[in-house]
Amino acid sequence: MIGRAALLVVLLAIPAALTGVWIRSADARLAELSAAPAELAPVASASDVAYCNPELKRILRRVLMSCGLVGGNAARGCQPVQARNVATMSGHDFNALFQPMKDRGGIVMFDQDKAELTAQDLGLVDQVFADQRGASWFFVVARASPEGSVEHNRELSKARAEAVMAHLRQQFKDPDLDKEVGMLWLGAEFAQLETEFCAWKHSKGGTCSPEQLNRSAFVAWIDCQL
Amino acid sequence: MRRPQPWLVVVLAGAVVGALFAAVSTYDFVQHLDRQVHNLHCSFIPGVSHGAGESGCQVAMMSPYSSVLRTHVWGGVPIALAALSVFAFLVFYALDLVVTRRKDDVRATGFLALATVLPALASAVMLVISLEKLGTTCKLCVGIYLASAACLIGGIGAWRRARHGAGGTAPDPRTERWDRRDRPREEPAFVGTAKTGSQARLVAVGVPTGAASARFLAAMFVTGVAFVAVPVVLYLALAPDHARFIGTCEGLPHPTDSYGVMVRIEHGASAAAPAGAPAIEVLDPLCPACLAFEERLAASGLGPRLDRKAVLFPLDNTCNWMVTEATHPGACTVSEAVLCAGDKAPDVIAWAFEEQDRIRKETAADPSAAARIVKQRFPELAACVGSPDARARLNKSMRWIVANGIRVLTPQVFVGNVKLCDEDVDLGLEYTLSNMLDRQARGGLAVTPPGKAPPPAAPAPAKPHGGAP
Repeated sequence: MIGRAALLVVLLAIPAALTGVWIRSADARLAELSAAPAELAPVASASDVAYCNPELKRILRRVLMSCGLVGGNAARGCQPVQARNVATMSGHDFNALFQPMKDRGGIVMFDQDKAELTAQDLGLVDQVFADQRGASWFFVVARASPEGSVEHNRELSKARAEAVMAHLRQQFKDPDLDKEVGMLWLGAEFAQLETEFCAWKHSKGGTCSPEQLNRSAFVAWIDCQL
Repeated sequence: MRRPQPWLVVVLAGAVVGALFAAVSTYDFVQHLDRQVHNLHCSFIPGVSHGAGESGCQVAMMSPYSSVLRTHVWGGVPIALAALSVFAFLVFYALDLVVTRRKDDVRATGFLALATVLPALASAVMLVISLEKLGTTCKLCVGIYLASAACLIGGIGAWRRARHGAGGTAPDPRTERWDRRDRPREEPAFVGTAKTGSQARLVAVGVPTGAASARFLAAMFVTGVAFVAVPVVLYLALAPDHARFIGTCEGLPHPTDSYGVMVRIEHGASAAAPAGAPAIEVLDPLCPACLAFEERLAASGLGPRLDRKAVLFPLDNTCNWMVTEATHPGACTVSEAVLCAGDKAPDVIAWAFEEQDRIRKETAADPSAAARIVKQRFPELAACVGSPDARARLNKSMRWIVANGIRVLTPQVFVGNVKLCDEDVDLGLEYTLSNMLDRQARGGLAVTPPGKAPPPAAPAPAKPHGGAP
């Protein structure tokens, strides 16, 4: 009888004891791990690519603040004088800032003295804008070729920038549009594009003269965080 | 000398081997109670091959069929523990038959045969589930199935042998002495009849008829129940309290769908059905873990208690700048198709889950394959997929992800804006999700900083959710 009882106790105790020991062990590890900081997956964030060096960010911040994107400035868009002042650099250096964004932008080429977007222009704007990826800022930098008066060219470049903006507003219905799109209209006074920008995507196939290049709205996403 | 009956030896061997397999399987399960990922033993030799990676053992253990009472305790009580207990009982009972000299007792061995039916039946059911539902088998489980079969064969063999003996076979003079000596002491094995007036005498005919009493069998039945109940109750009592982790894994600071990018994962429930708790799932339609989660949620039966919407987060660098490679090639294109589908988004998601292996494989070889496959299956979406509008919408989806500081992995589920911890999306799903839903219903579900976890909630009452265990 004692032998049977011992057998019963031993065999009953084996699963129970094993369970108890294993659970206690898991509980101890759990307590230990809970106290230590866990290794977590990275948090999703906007892009901040290699070309976003401190100098570029400094200028970007100043342009964005002065042109109404950040800082609660009610005014929207920058005129040539403002752009020159906030950038505090030559037109050549200003354009050089955008060179790394070649794959993220395009040049919408208008007809002379026109601010209407053609089907090709719209296609390019849509293509570039839809490819936002992790970028936080979209720049529309409109220009005019040197023909015409300074005032007329300012107005013309402003109309070109606004045409692009109006299309974006209508096409994409993006609630963040006003927080992410920066407009500059430079007329023919500041930072005229040089022929090296002919290598960028543009809406006119074939020829690319300096005049055509500046009858334009340069559009690009900027993959920098401020 | 007490010679063990050969069939009892089969039962004993099967039970010991089964107990070893079940113990290893239970150990593998229990070690996951620390909420970490562990390697599993997966071999026909118990305890060998402590390997990582996906295996039949991994699939079986993470499936909803690996445990019971999953809404009562985190992960549930592993069925391997019950198997271990049953095998331990079979060892005990088989030895007890030898000790009490009942190895040739028809009723006692009949009870043994009946007892071996339980693990055999459970093994048969689990084998069918493995093949039909999981599409794989695990080596440890197969070991248990074979051990159960051995026990059943041994049990039936022992019973048949005893029955044959009881059928009136002539006493074998070679065994008579042994039979007489081994007969249970408390009751004679067989008593011959004696006529009045004749020379009455007890006749030992060498065939045991002193069957185990009902009391003996009842005691063994209770013992068998105790063998299962004691470890299970102990498990329930000792299992760590995982409710304290609910709410400690972040939340959604900006849950509003300001971009209009959330899509339904399932077609809406009928108007008569009560609305579920609002839930947002961060989803990649080509992510195997998302598919596995979907299957686990369906099996849990908790799906109808959720009103789920998805925010697409393809882990594919053709559109997602947060990953350096296409973890799931084609996911961007399929996500665009989901967004393009509007009310039919659940159909596209369900199709993508079914076809995700093929889409990923073909797109890895040819980047245009995903678009081709999608357009073949959903020609009505051909104009939309790849369009600037679709790309911009998908981008907005990822901007929602950024705005909410979501971690770069899928799936992630938020119930009432509180994240279901990543550690709770597999084994602990039923327990944690049902707890979260109960708290949400009581208005008590909130994000809690780690270390400031509230006291454990009172255990949720058992609720039949209609799903498989």
